[in-house]
Amino acid sequence: MIYLVLAGVLFVIGLHGLFVARHLLRKILSLNVLSAAVFLFLVALARQAEPLDSVPHAIVLTGIVVSVSTTAVALALLVRLSRPRGNNAAPAGKESR
Amino acid sequence: MIQPESLVVLLVGLPLLGAILTFVYPRAATAVTAACAAGMLGAASGVAYAVMVGGGWSQDLGGWAPPLGIGWQVDGLSASLLLLTAIVGSAGAAHRAVEGLDQPFFWPLWLFLWGALNALFLGADLFNLYVALEVLALAAVALIAMAGGGALPAAWRYLLASLLGSTVYLMGVALLYGRYGALDLGLIAGALEPDLPSALGAGLICLGLLLKAAVFPLHFWLPSAHGRAPTVVSAALSALVVAAAWYLLVRLWFGPFAGLQGPGPDWLFGLIGTGAMLWGGLLALVQRRLKMLIAYSTVSQLGFGLLVIPLAVGAGAESAWRGAVVLVLAHGLAKAGLFLAAGSIARAHGHDRLDALGGMGAGVVLPWLALVLAGASLIGLPPSGGFLGKWWMLQGALAAGGWVWVAAILLGTLLTAVYVFRMLSVVIRPAAPVPPAGGGGLPGALPAFVLALLALGLGLAAPVLEHLLSGDAMTGGPA
Amino acid sequence: MLVFDALLAGALIWLAWQATHTPGLFRSVISFIVFGLLMALAWVRLEAPDIALAEAAIGAGATGALLLSALGRLAVTHEAGTPWQERPDLYFWIPAGAALLGLLTLAAWALPTPGLGDDVRRVLPDSGVANPVTAVLLNIRAFDTLLEIGVLLLATIAIWSLGRMPMPSAPAVRSPALTALGRVLFPMFVLVSAYLLWRGSHAPGGAFPAGAVVGAGGILSILAGAQPWLTGGVRGPWRILLSLGFATMLAVAWGVMALGQPFFAYPPGLAGLIVLVLELAAGLSIAMSLVALYLAGQPPDHWGPEAARR
Repeated sequence: MIYLVLAGVLFVIGLHGLFVARHLLRKILSLNVLSAAVFLFLVALARQAEPLDSVPHAIVLTGIVVSVSTTAVALALLVRLSRPRGNNAAPAGKESR
Repeated sequence: MIQPESLVVLLVGLPLLGAILTFVYPRAATAVTAACAAGMLGAASGVAYAVMVGGGWSQDLGGWAPPLGIGWQVDGLSASLLLLTAIVGSAGAAHRAVEGLDQPFFWPLWLFLWGALNALFLGADLFNLYVALEVLALAAVALIAMAGGGALPAAWRYLLASLLGSTVYLMGVALLYGRYGALDLGLIAGALEPDLPSALGAGLICLGLLLKAAVFPLHFWLPSAHGRAPTVVSAALSALVVAAAWYLLVRLWFGPFAGLQGPGPDWLFGLIGTGAMLWGGLLALVQRRLKMLIAYSTVSQLGFGLLVIPLAVGAGAESAWRGAVVLVLAHGLAKAGLFLAAGSIARAHGHDRLDALGGMGAGVVLPWLALVLAGASLIGLPPSGGFLGKWWMLQGALAAGGWVWVAAILLGTLLTAVYVFRMLSVVIRPAAPVPPAGGGGLPGALPAFVLALLALGLGLAAPVLEHLLSGDAMTGGPA
Repeated sequence: MLVFDALLAGALIWLAWQATHTPGLFRSVISFIVFGLLMALAWVRLEAPDIALAEAAIGAGATGALLLSALGRLAVTHEAGTPWQERPDLYFWIPAGAALLGLLTLAAWALPTPGLGDDVRRVLPDSGVANPVTAVLLNIRAFDTLLEIGVLLLATIAIWSLGRMPMPSAPAVRSPALTALGRVLFPMFVLVSAYLLWRGSHAPGGAFPAGAVVGAGGILSILAGAQPWLTGGVRGPWRILLSLGFATMLAVAWGVMALGQPFFAYPPGLAGLIVLVLELAAGLSIAMSLVALYLAGQPPDHWGPEAARR
């Protein structure tokens, strides 16, 4: 149960970070915290089930791989964005959402 | 005769196989894509025909029945959207092939997008749908970013909004799984009770999808992403990707979440839809660039689709349901045609600023013609698909006595007419000198023209559409 | 044990806050990596050792390396003032966050969590493996895994489509210790992952952690200055190898249809073999894709001296 509440707290922290962070890298970190919260929630549910439920485990493993892929794409895009190139409108670091 | 079940497998497997081939052998990319497109047009038509003849069906993947396994479901709604995807996907690929840009990674990304869309329209498993949504988002982001420059921030915003949407969606899925121990739509539909975890789970899922569908007021990311992406990508995003999120929302709302329906959520969705219709229409009016105008029009047209939620209950439900689906189909065809035509015009002129574009003249006749025809369908002039959709929706609304929604639809149509006329007022200007073959010539504009014709002719297919969509009125398919 | 759980939860919350809300991007990234490592502990406490292995290798290891290398390549890494706006946002966020947390907790409290543990256990003998997580991943819900391996390939293509990889691939300042470490460690990473893969059919382990460990090892050896032999051109085996896992899964999904089975349904008796093949394919994909993702762009067509200097 403590982990379910923990997942909730992390969810809110990630959400808040995503919305208010200024630097784009921080937004990526917030998104990762957010998805970690969801994964934690799923596995904590699996722990409560009787007997131990392995479907959420498989789901979370899939989710972790998907999440690292999206993070990698986001980071590659971020690096391209942050290079000053001509009148590229939005330099990283100062960005409206 | 080929089993329709194997046609469905083809619809998901073929684009994914094509994605691998075009990545490994980029030299054969156009040939592979053409083969895939032909296969998918055939398979999607076959599936639609099978649904018309024998009704929808569901199939289990890997021989594992839900709740353990993953299921696919096919009904009139999914079959018609699969067909729309095949048509727009092929037309976009043809347009791209004529453009002849040297970006070899376009093809695998395009096919991944296509495969993800097909998987989405078939999926009947909440988590599988999540993975398909992620494939869709990643492919779309990379495709938007291909335009370079100003498209990169747009791609970034799209990526962020999309990832937030899918994470929120997954949280909702987790809640529903904890409540019912199932991910299958049909099983959840059968077990749903209106309690707190279900409502919260459904709420989070809908919120995530609204964000992905760029529904007002969560539309902030859409116009720049759709307006700045490469032409064919804009077409696919506006016609298909947004429709996919709408589809999922409607599929869930009338399927597993049907037990949560009530006046409260109905009004909420109705107001959101009306807001989108008006706000998107007003902003489309003040745009200075052709592609941005079309992009804002997507926000507004999506509002019409969302009105299905308050309308498809009670009396007149079936008509409203059919109307909304046809409207989304017609919008997909017309919007893809608009974007492709706008792309041809912009290439011919070297820009797409509305105040400086020349009228219909040598070299850009066909694109402008496509723009006119697609615009007519967007407004809803008979006999277009847009007319048929709005007609059926209005019939449904009148039967249910939903005067507010009738007024909203009419007001939205008026706005659509105004911004489409603003766009078309350029046609009657004197033609500007256009460099010969600057717009890719005739073949470049042909896909746009075909799409516009299809959007216009969709209204004539009313009996077919009625038959196709009659089997699954609002039940979200075989439960 | 409750005390331990509470401490762990407290530490995780503190680290998450550090990662998302306190000044200093470098510190935030390090906090996030530590957060990932502690999450692995949480997974162990929740009896999910498979996820713990994957989290340590992917969540903390590979993601951490990605974040650090991106941080090194960013043009703007300073943040003006506090990392988040101090406007009266808080008047909205404190009640909204509390309400969301309250709703989530209330809902979680009411969840009956029926779970599918019994169902999985019942069909486990037919699945071809003894580890239920592997059975779900590579047999029962194999279509999810197919799409997931597709995401890995797609992410690689997406990153390549953004442009050539930024050079150099390793940090400018190399520590000799890291170089030596990288050389020694890589074979060990391969050994560990082979063990994990072998274990995976009957105990925690399997393709995911195994692939992740090899991938992390590959990233480490690049960090240590080894040449990332992965090339981006059409010639050479790398495009085929990168797609191999996805292609194998697709081939199996279709191949069984030739044997008269439905899509993705393994013929009885062959299930064990098929799962093993898919494990190898998935593991290979994960390992290679992680290295490709780390390079953050399309590698050059040849790794000659001129490529390294560019």
